[in-house]
Amino acid sequence: MKKELIELRVNRRTHEIAIEPNMLLLDALRQTLGLTGSKRGCDDSSCGACTVLIDGTAMLSCTLLAASCQDQEITTIEGVSEHGSLAAIQKAYGDWGGAQCGYCTPGFIMTVKSLLADNPNPTETEIRAALSSNLCRCTGYSQMYEAIRAALDAERKGIAAVR
Amino acid sequence: MSLPEFKLQRPHSIDEAIEYLAKYAGDVRVIAGGTDLIPSMRQKLFEPKYVLDVRGISELRGVHAQPDGGVMIGASTTLSAVEKSEFLRQNYPVLTEAARTVASPVLRNMGTIGGNICLDTRCLWYNQSLAWRKGCGFCIKKDGDLCHVAPGGTKCWAVFSADTPPALLCLNAEIEIAGPAGTRRVGLAGFYTGLGDNYRKLQANELVTRVFLPKSSAGMRGVYRKLRIRGSIDYPLAGVAIAIRRSNGHIADAQIAMTAVNPSPMLVKGAGEMLVGRAIDETLAESAGDLAARIAKPLTTSALTPEYRREMIRVFTKRALLEAAKN
Amino acid sequence: MKSRALLDRAAEGGCPHVRLQMSDFSIIGKATAMVDAAEKTTGTGKYTDDLALPGMLVGKILHSPYPHARIKSIDTRRAERLDGVVAVAVGKDAPNPFGILPVGHDEHALALDKVRYVGDNVACVAAVSESIAEQALELIDVDYEVLPSYFDPEESMKAEADLIHENKPHNIEKDYHHVFGDPEKGFAEADQICEARFLANEVTHAAMEPHSTLASFELDPHTGNLGRLTVWSSTQVPYYLQHKLSLVLEMPMSQIRVIKPLVGGGFGGKSEVIPLEIIAAIAARKAKAPVKITYTREEVFWAHRGRPRTIIDLKTGVKNDGRITAVKARVVQDGGAYCSYGVVTILYSGALLGALYDIPNIQYDGYRVLTNKPACGAMRGHGTVNVRFAFESQLDELAQKIGMDPAEIRQRNLLQPPCITVNGLRVQSYGLPECIEKIVERSGWRERKGKLPQGHGLGIACSHYVSGAANSIIRSDMPHSTVNIKIDRDGGVVVYTGASEIGQGSDTMTAQVAAEALGCSLSRVRVVAADTDLTPIDIGSYSSRVTFMAGNATLRAATEVKKLIAAAAAKKMNCAPEEVIFRDDLVCKPGTHASEQAAPAQDPRGLDGRERPSPHGTENSATSVSGRVEGQILRGSLQQKRKEEGPKDAMTFEEAVVAAIDFHGALTGTGSYAPPQQARGGKHKGAGVGPSPAYSYSAQVAEVSVDEETGEVTVHKVWAAHDCGRALNPVAVEGQIIGSVWMGMGQALTEEMIWKDGMLMNPGLLEYRSPASVESPEIEPIIVESIDPEGPFGAKECSEGSLAATIPAIANAIYDAVGIRLHESPFTPERVLAALRAKKNSKPLNLTEGVDPTQPDRFREHGGALWFKGKGPRRHELDPARSEAPAGGAD
Repeated sequence: MKKELIELRVNRRTHEIAIEPNMLLLDALRQTLGLTGSKRGCDDSSCGACTVLIDGTAMLSCTLLAASCQDQEITTIEGVSEHGSLAAIQKAYGDWGGAQCGYCTPGFIMTVKSLLADNPNPTETEIRAALSSNLCRCTGYSQMYEAIRAALDAERKGIAAVR
Repeated sequence: MSLPEFKLQRPHSIDEAIEYLAKYAGDVRVIAGGTDLIPSMRQKLFEPKYVLDVRGISELRGVHAQPDGGVMIGASTTLSAVEKSEFLRQNYPVLTEAARTVASPVLRNMGTIGGNICLDTRCLWYNQSLAWRKGCGFCIKKDGDLCHVAPGGTKCWAVFSADTPPALLCLNAEIEIAGPAGTRRVGLAGFYTGLGDNYRKLQANELVTRVFLPKSSAGMRGVYRKLRIRGSIDYPLAGVAIAIRRSNGHIADAQIAMTAVNPSPMLVKGAGEMLVGRAIDETLAESAGDLAARIAKPLTTSALTPEYRREMIRVFTKRALLEAAKN
Repeated sequence: MKSRALLDRAAEGGCPHVRLQMSDFSIIGKATAMVDAAEKTTGTGKYTDDLALPGMLVGKILHSPYPHARIKSIDTRRAERLDGVVAVAVGKDAPNPFGILPVGHDEHALALDKVRYVGDNVACVAAVSESIAEQALELIDVDYEVLPSYFDPEESMKAEADLIHENKPHNIEKDYHHVFGDPEKGFAEADQICEARFLANEVTHAAMEPHSTLASFELDPHTGNLGRLTVWSSTQVPYYLQHKLSLVLEMPMSQIRVIKPLVGGGFGGKSEVIPLEIIAAIAARKAKAPVKITYTREEVFWAHRGRPRTIIDLKTGVKNDGRITAVKARVVQDGGAYCSYGVVTILYSGALLGALYDIPNIQYDGYRVLTNKPACGAMRGHGTVNVRFAFESQLDELAQKIGMDPAEIRQRNLLQPPCITVNGLRVQSYGLPECIEKIVERSGWRERKGKLPQGHGLGIACSHYVSGAANSIIRSDMPHSTVNIKIDRDGGVVVYTGASEIGQGSDTMTAQVAAEALGCSLSRVRVVAADTDLTPIDIGSYSSRVTFMAGNATLRAATEVKKLIAAAAAKKMNCAPEEVIFRDDLVCKPGTHASEQAAPAQDPRGLDGRERPSPHGTENSATSVSGRVEGQILRGSLQQKRKEEGPKDAMTFEEAVVAAIDFHGALTGTGSYAPPQQARGGKHKGAGVGPSPAYSYSAQVAEVSVDEETGEVTVHKVWAAHDCGRALNPVAVEGQIIGSVWMGMGQALTEEMIWKDGMLMNPGLLEYRSPASVESPEIEPIIVESIDPEGPFGAKECSEGSLAATIPAIANAIYDAVGIRLHESPFTPERVLAALRAKKNSKPLNLTEGVDPTQPDRFREHGGALWFKGKGPRRHELDPARSEAPAGGAD
């Protein structure tokens, strides 16, 4: 099939890539741009491992056509680290056991990023509801709540996050 | 699983979209949120030559209060936007509640109200990969000539599994459909056929563009109850929406609708007659539950047994009514 | 050894709470972020599917559409002609059979003459893109002769003809019949006996990462033919993979390198050689190019190897004082079409009736049965889980019959270790009593049990698991784990281990044990793991063996290399080598280390038991920083200083290392671990499975509520106490406990593989319902430390043992809440409601299609009809039943 030239804005950079129109954003990120942090865990848009931000909103990159995402700002897990060091949420996930095998972790981090952008002080119920978009098979989710709390505390105290 | 090959068009206006639809009629699928179409295309349930991405059409988005007191919702308004609209929450709470139960928060960021209305009917014998379907010998809805759910017949029983349409039915919603000959407005109840395969009345060159909720439904108290095994992600295995208006402690207006137990979402006929003029109590609520359960016809299209799903229509109807009658 | 002395004191005093003070250790016992945490949270870590090689092709596998069929012919010519297809591999390209167990070599990478389940592997296309490979699959013409199929295990056992494997009469893979003690006498002595059938439906690992393998050949430098093979694979067992590749490809193991990148969860699903791992290599050989195959999620379900659906006919007798007199279990496992780990699974199911409680008489009849479904294998809690569900449920019923508290009946049947159980299992450390005490206390059991409002309930159950198998499946006297350590002049420690990190924290444990043993900071230690070219053999990450076995091997390697450093340091410090203390990046004479004077005991957790200081935030003291940061710069001046100074009391770790290298040459050490002979079990047939050097113990209380109108069960909280010997890394141990309990809850409530005539109706994460965050309860992990005498620093298993108790704890809580005993898992709302309605004698509704969940007799199939009898015109051109389709014909 004939490839088309498109422009994607990913992590604040513009990339011009040639893709087939049926290419999913996830495949464009992973295969064409080499951004393998977003993962594929299912084929039925159920698991959330491929979650990215599109203009700041969490979406599944496995369910978006790459060519449909032109003119939008795409943020992947690779765009989350701040000035080369871990964002508070990344550090907290590590410290509190929020990541075990780590395969779902990039998706969760993106979901949490969008949650905290909308709601900087979520209740436990709100956190649980937000996290229900992503499946994890290792942690039972509990340690993620602690990580999110810790990250919020750290942000508040200004310890971990480099702004 | 790769997607079939297609050409992508990204129109920026409804007119442009209609032009494309007219041009490619019969070999085109419309994509908005993609949450229904993309997994199905992976499974080779659809192999269109053209895909029309309507996400770029801004006139299809937004919740707009109407001068007459009703509301117009653009078809590609996301379910998140519907869920978060303060206007809808105030005036049409049953829709807000139903929208909030759809799939998961991230999927609601993508899925649209129009997509939810047009959601393809689902069946465990149908929503499977091409390789899987070869194993079962295909079915009436796609590539075959038999229904595995009701093997004797020739009717497709794939089940309509969206959450917002029963709420919209209770609110007497209308939808606007645009086509080469202009637009038409139809009651949502008349949009569905009751068939699993050809489940909606929409021509290949037409597009659902808007949803209208009338002023007369504004302020109806509403409840949506959804049967699901998992508290997120899942499609409904049964769903009941109710909307009632009370006056002096008695029901002045009432609608009950169901989803995920028939090939179409359905208003429960006779519910109004049964309820109007009476005060809701346990007995009345149970009678309404029995009425709804009689109309539900769940089959083995889904997880959980049909008998159980029918029973939950009964229980959920009762509970929804009692809940709506509170305070 | 100090810890040993304390342990002895604990044993004498009978005090279960004696723990080593934290000051005894610098590294272990502290909540430590995983050494690979940043790779995972930033997305930079590479899993197999993230890898690519120049010229790499995509492999796609053609699967059988039939559950049981003979392959009459395969014609790949049309597929080969498709532009972009490089090679099409079929069974005869590598016909040697393999299987994870030496007794179960019944699989072929690609089918030779028969397919045995829907999804069996028939051919593989290597092409330049995924879509071309998928198109090519449709062009492979296979002519099948469909054979009668077997789906229900009890039906399958009656088979006389059309056997799934010709050498397995009645489709029985293996049966075992064990009698220990005198069960008949035991039942005669019992005051109460319960006997019932339990059914546990099939569940699967559903690890988030679908299996993926990348295979690449190098050219032989002399001939230009294909030479060495390198395979990157999502595996828990790189060495078994190397071995099976060697067998099937007929290449020496020395010519095969297996590398395990990050693995996105295993739970047993990657603990044996999965067909794609070999198929990728076959395809790469045929295509003469690197080939990567990544399973679709559906293929993961077909590859499966999960927990078999199981029939348990269980009979238990107790005296009125609560003592168990005898247990009789007949277990039938629906193993699917291949042996896989099946022989081990069916043996674990019997063997681990022992070693939890003191049971004097046991009769066990186990049948592993073949059916035309994907093979079952090892899954978290291998073999024990379904039987434990039955046993703990029945024990609850017996407690009620004799009017005893369910917690107490468990306390009445405790073992008295050290001991050997009636079926030959050696038990030493035994934290079960403390586990029960802890959960009874934390859950408010005594105050709340039976006193909650209608519809709410509490249930208790216990479980246990091995810390690795004492006898390896390859039946050799080879050590189960070997570890090498190398220390460089700058004080950098590299640990080479074959142990496989799969998310459980294997690499972190290795680094912690090495750092603790060497007295150096954690940041000095780098772990190189699971690369068969670089790391010494370790048999893999399964049966919870890594901490115990690889941990011990690491400890021994570190001890060996430490001796070399101590000898050199002792010379510098004028003391005896055995006096030298290694601690906090210092090497010193006795009486000089700060911790010996007045180190306050520091518990990493605060008073509430939950707060922990950030593992990275405050830990780095000046000493550890100097080791890492200043090492390179200071080396020259250190050497200078050393020449100037006379004998001293203390040296930095780095100085000591330099001294040792100057003295001995290169600093390396090797340690290995083989389970002791006494732990290897009895002599009866099948005695090899079950014995372990140590067992973990778990006790749990679940709090649930049941909606009596809908049958929906909500788990509100689970208190889970787990005896892990010693928690080397509390945050990781808690993570494993929580994860196990949570996965058990999934099996208890929502997870179930739904079958219809061999078709899996829910081969995806949408329909196979692994719980999401909203319905996942609070789980309070309670660490119990029994300090095992043989575990590394006393540690043993923590990743599997907790799973099994959760299911019966929930079942027992449901009984407490609404008075129904469910004998079939999962406890879906339809099953719960059916039982509730039967109990209330309400209008009967056929909610469960004739199978009473309180007295189930058979497995239920999904409704509807599979087989296609119509011959209409709208049949898809790919429909295998389409009569006019050219079957295997040339185009």
